[in-house]
Amino acid sequence: MDVIRALGAELWKMFAGDLFLTLGTLATVFGLALILGAHIAPAADAPYLLTAIIIGVFVAAVAMSTAREIKRKSDR
Amino acid sequence: MTLFASAGAPGITSAMVDLAAAAPIATASFFASAVEVVEAFTIVLAVSVVRGARPAIIGAAAALAVLVLAVAIFGPLIAEIPIHGLQLTVGVLLLLFGLGWLRKATLRAGGVLPLHDEAAAFVNQAETLRAQASEVAAEWIAGVAAFKAVLLEGTEVVFIVLAVGAKPGLLAPSAMGAAAACILVLGAGLLIRQPLAKVPENSLKFLVGAMLSGFGVFWTSEGLGAAFPFGDWPIAGLVGLFLLCALGLATVLRRVLARSPAWT
Repeated sequence: MDVIRALGAELWKMFAGDLFLTLGTLATVFGLALILGAHIAPAADAPYLLTAIIIGVFVAAVAMSTAREIKRKSDR
Repeated sequence: MTLFASAGAPGITSAMVDLAAAAPIATASFFASAVEVVEAFTIVLAVSVVRGARPAIIGAAAALAVLVLAVAIFGPLIAEIPIHGLQLTVGVLLLLFGLGWLRKATLRAGGVLPLHDEAAAFVNQAETLRAQASEVAAEWIAGVAAFKAVLLEGTEVVFIVLAVGAKPGLLAPSAMGAAAACILVLGAGLLIRQPLAKVPENSLKFLVGAMLSGFGVFWTSEGLGAAFPFGDWPIAGLVGLFLLCALGLATVLRRVLARSPAWT
């Protein structure tokens, strides 16, 4: 039971450590699938669109984590 | 140039794999697995030093048996998933995994989070084990600690091997990369019998995070039915792009923190 709990905590830490990063990535992929399904953008552009948005999500996640850490430190 | 003759399940394997495709797969799997094996080894070594080799070996061996069983049961199921569905699932998981590592490595390199210290992890684990009261219970707890460490880090290694090698015919180079990492890390560990504190873990996490994120974008895109041009070559460009982006961010973070009154 202890092992299962630790495994669950590890998986939680892996994917929900930064909820914004996880949800942002999932929303990007889901949104892109919808865009491609509805033929709003040509499929040839999709890889570049995906790359650009994912990097944007990553940069935003790092910035948010930094702001959170600075605030935590200044609150102490 | 061809390298490996794959022997995987029918449906997702091809006869021969191009070296250009196999080399980055084996490299990504090697570095990612090395990071996990170093972490597991630190705990197992702490158990062995404090409570003896017996609980450490039994715990680690039991965890390896569970992992082998899990791979034997769930491995063949992967062959049943249609290739586009598999690439999309694996691509998204690699993105979540890789971006998470890259984010943490960037924050550590930028000075926002403290660096992971294997020597400190070893001391913490050893102190926790020494604090256990009764001898019989302590041996049992030590065995469980080794079991947990190997199972948790091993699950990540299995995931990395399956995810990185999810493209037809690439499971063999992926598994070989992970096996080489295990042999190298465990060999070095057994030789020096100390926590592998000198392994530049954050640099490895940087590289591996960029690699997994690059593979993740590539396979998510293929899974969505919108492949990059020029075959597998864009993977190298994507890895480089993520690496540059993370290194640039770490530099910016160091400057921001140097000017932050809360930090200084």
